[in-house]
Amino acid sequence: MSFAYAKAAASIMASLLLVACEREQRDFQTPSSGSPSGDHYQRDAYDVAQGKRLFNWMNCSGCHSHGGGGMGPALMDNRWIYGGKIQQIYQSIHDGRRNGMPAWKHRMTDQQIWQVAAYVRSMGRYLRKDVAPGRDDAMQSGKAESRRERASAIVPSTPP
Amino acid sequence: MTAGRIRSVVQLATCSSALQACSGWQSALDPHSQTAAHLAGLFWFFTAICAIVWVLVVAALIMVLRRRRESESVLPGDDFPHQQRRKAIIVGSLTAITAIILTVLTYMSFYATREITWPRKHVLTVKVTGQQWWWQLDYQNQDPSQSFGTANELHIPVGQPVTVDLEAADVIHSFWVPNLIGKQDMIPGRKNVLTLRADKPGLYRGQCAEFCGLQHAHMSMFVFAEPPAAFEAWRRHQLEPAATPGAPQRITGMNIFVHGACATCHAVGGTDADGQTGPNLTHFAQRATIAAGTLRNTPANLSRWLADPQAVKPGTNMPQVPMSPADRQALVAYLEGLK
Amino acid sequence: MPRRRLLFSLLVSVAVANSRAATGLDHTPVDGQWMQAAKDYANTRYSSLTEINTSNARRLVPAFTFSTNLKHGHEAAPLVIGSIMYVVTPFPNTLYALDLSKPGAPLKWKFDPHPDPAAQGVACCDTVNRGAAYGGGKIVYNTLDGQTVAVNATTGQEVWRAHLGDIKRGETITMAPLIADGKVLLGNSGGEFGVRGWIAALNLADGTLAWKAFNTGPDKDVLIGSGFQPFYPQYRGKDLGTRSWPPGRWKYGGNVWGWVSYDPTLHLVYYGTGNPGPWNPDQRAGDNLWTAGIFARDVSNGQARWFYQWSPHDLYDHDGINESIVLDITWRGQPRKVLVHPERNGYVYILDRVTGEVLAAKPFVYINASKGVDLKTGRLIPNPKKTTGMGKTVYDICPTASGAKDWEPSAYSPRTGILYLPHANLCMDEQPVQANYIKGTPYIGANVRQKPGRGGNRGAFTAWDVLKQTIVWEIKEPLPVWSGALVTAGDVVFYGTLDGWFKAVNARNGKLLWKFKTESGIIGQPITYLGPDGHQYVAILSGIGGWVGSIVSNALDPRDKTAALGMVNAMHDLPAKVRAGGRLYVFRVR
Repeated sequence: MSFAYAKAAASIMASLLLVACEREQRDFQTPSSGSPSGDHYQRDAYDVAQGKRLFNWMNCSGCHSHGGGGMGPALMDNRWIYGGKIQQIYQSIHDGRRNGMPAWKHRMTDQQIWQVAAYVRSMGRYLRKDVAPGRDDAMQSGKAESRRERASAIVPSTPP
Repeated sequence: MTAGRIRSVVQLATCSSALQACSGWQSALDPHSQTAAHLAGLFWFFTAICAIVWVLVVAALIMVLRRRRESESVLPGDDFPHQQRRKAIIVGSLTAITAIILTVLTYMSFYATREITWPRKHVLTVKVTGQQWWWQLDYQNQDPSQSFGTANELHIPVGQPVTVDLEAADVIHSFWVPNLIGKQDMIPGRKNVLTLRADKPGLYRGQCAEFCGLQHAHMSMFVFAEPPAAFEAWRRHQLEPAATPGAPQRITGMNIFVHGACATCHAVGGTDADGQTGPNLTHFAQRATIAAGTLRNTPANLSRWLADPQAVKPGTNMPQVPMSPADRQALVAYLEGLK
Repeated sequence: MPRRRLLFSLLVSVAVANSRAATGLDHTPVDGQWMQAAKDYANTRYSSLTEINTSNARRLVPAFTFSTNLKHGHEAAPLVIGSIMYVVTPFPNTLYALDLSKPGAPLKWKFDPHPDPAAQGVACCDTVNRGAAYGGGKIVYNTLDGQTVAVNATTGQEVWRAHLGDIKRGETITMAPLIADGKVLLGNSGGEFGVRGWIAALNLADGTLAWKAFNTGPDKDVLIGSGFQPFYPQYRGKDLGTRSWPPGRWKYGGNVWGWVSYDPTLHLVYYGTGNPGPWNPDQRAGDNLWTAGIFARDVSNGQARWFYQWSPHDLYDHDGINESIVLDITWRGQPRKVLVHPERNGYVYILDRVTGEVLAAKPFVYINASKGVDLKTGRLIPNPKKTTGMGKTVYDICPTASGAKDWEPSAYSPRTGILYLPHANLCMDEQPVQANYIKGTPYIGANVRQKPGRGGNRGAFTAWDVLKQTIVWEIKEPLPVWSGALVTAGDVVFYGTLDGWFKAVNARNGKLLWKFKTESGIIGQPITYLGPDGHQYVAILSGIGGWVGSIVSNALDPRDKTAALGMVNAMHDLPAKVRAGGRLYVFRVR
């Protein structure tokens, strides 16, 4: 009887562990040029965490703060001037946008831009709860990305 | 017996090939400063005492194991009073000796740590910030125009106390240059302070001593202890911006650096490139290594590093920036000219 | 009182006479026009028109309105020259000329300078513009993408255009220029982008550069030469604009985006310099000269005469660009030529405008960021308990980053001797962090949360007796007051609130005489003028925005308390109270 329980417990634990493996995969091989589909970046906690680091390093937080906006629009809500899918966010960052978003294609690598785009997606909690970042160490600005309410369906906003 | 004598005896006895760290490179047992000497002395003292105690205990154990039994049934309660008294004296005195030894060791430890942390007048303050996975060095000065930043290679004047302010930018690191001083953690949000003083000129290697992520093992630092005149010359040179290049290939390299991805993280004084998140490269060509001791600083290695940093140091925050081999050569030429 | 008025009128007429001589303008002697944003070289914003007074102000009614159709912050002061009113809008910086001689003030012409839309991405505090200036038959103003345009005031044709600012560096221009001595004086914005600040003079006739002085760097760039005679010893020495910084760090800060005043007798222009970059003070050890201070320069060649630093080694983004009102007063029994300057750090300064000596500095709000100004050394005394540092979070710093009073200009009445101060009552929590410099992107390095100050009212309109240095009366406002002030000889003071109320109060006792709810929040500068029909009118631009109103104009998310450099936290209720949308309102007494 107890052996059966032990077996059951062991298999449950094993499957949990396997599921946890999905959360984070670190691939340090630089992807070949020609931007791949960026979808997998938003399923990987490591990429999202790197994106968060780059978001601060590249001064994105200077205009967009911690998602609430400022000189630039808010990124944590559901209003997207140029589209809120990860490919569209990638494009906004890569090519810049007419009304003031600078272009980063010469300043960051493609992989880095995908990572930032994935992080931006986490701001409105479009990502899985275990992939979105937790609370950071800076002065508190609000709820951590993984604890926010999911922004409702993407609503296109008219460009200024 | 002096501490030195004890040390040499124990060294001879235990060193041989087993204890490889006995001499020279990045070794706590090869002190080049008073502080490290205190710590090394403490180490040898402890080792000596503990070795003696160990030998005695093992000898006693062997003796006891080999002693013939006098009779079949001897129970502790069977002792005569005089035997009991004798045993009590032995146990009591051994306990007392142990207590004395421990007290002595405690006092020696207290004395040594007090010696190394006692605040001293210093001539120089350097703020060392641990980053994943490199060392950010900011030389402070009362006169702000005399302060400057560099990375990975700490230069200090010989014989003069240098205060090192330890901070960390992301996770906990630890500053460890064993020839000069013991470990001290670098904790984000907190400042720890050490005072270094090298007694002899030389090159000392250190590395991060607190696991800080994937490339913790490739986070080394070099400390150059130089005579004060040489140090002063180095310091003055660090204050100067990078010289404007003359050769066309170097100019191309500079433009690639300033207008491309390099400038988003790195700074070169005298140009528009003023990124703060990566190491300052103003006098990069003077450094002995690339990427915090991972590769020797040669043009071939630099080219290898720029071509694919992830292959050299997987997980490093420096990305592989796509560029043509010609552009990379120009960039290498520019960087290797940043003396 | 009469003596003050005499001295004052003397000053105004000298100013008018000199300007007429220097530029060949056709200034009518009647004080019925509004030819520059600050009204006069002394920056008094005082009108000697008396038709609107304390007894009839309650009968003010709208005469006409004009919509700009724009949803960003409207900070400008309209101009009135002859029978035309000129209005400059926020980006795209259209200039409208309204014909006041016809009923309903119809649009006579408009001028579109077509600024680069990418400039909107490097505007720290909304895409605003503080107005134009009139000189030599031209309306001159700046555009967000760093250009200066001169437009024929009659026909609306472009006369000349200059381009001094580079948006790729994060450089924009938002200030209203000052025209003096045949030159157009203007400076750049971009302190939050690590832009190196300068002030320049363009020749009014053709827009060519007369001179340009930086506010950081070596003496030859800052135009500090043998004529530089600062009052305090800490400003004497060679190349202090580099030596008071770590090497190379002086390239960031000292912008000129506020007010310039002018003394035609001394031939000196006075203007304040902005904050040093980045906000994180640990990346720029030293006093950081010549930021967060005030320069006096010779208007003909830009050479510096003296300098005083309001906030050495600024810790809180306390730009020093507020207005400095030129007054002649009696100080301790002696006649003194002074500047009266309400500063971002919370003190009202009185400076000798000949030498740069600080005569007095008294707080007009609760301050804990500093302990006072040492009048012997002239230095601001910091409070160690509120000193910020990298990684350290300091709570409840008062005044906040946007200051006890920001750019919103005060007005001075020679009749009452009172300085009418629109200002805020906000404090903040701040945590400096490592700032990374990337050209054209923000260079700040701080997490900020702003919050109401003591007492809970986030703003106030304060009447400050200049000579007695005390508050005469004060109107506490629930929201910060970010509009300019206007005072008239009818003893009426005008200001606007962020939720849209345009108010007239009694200049002597602060009693509310009249108020009118406009469609949007008011951050503009009120003006008054004599219409073609001989009646007095008051005009104001309503249109929420600016740093304080960006939560509305940029639709920011209040769930992030650090958004808009902490302003969103203090103004989280503003979207419920007011909508964006620019409209000019002009009032007259029924």
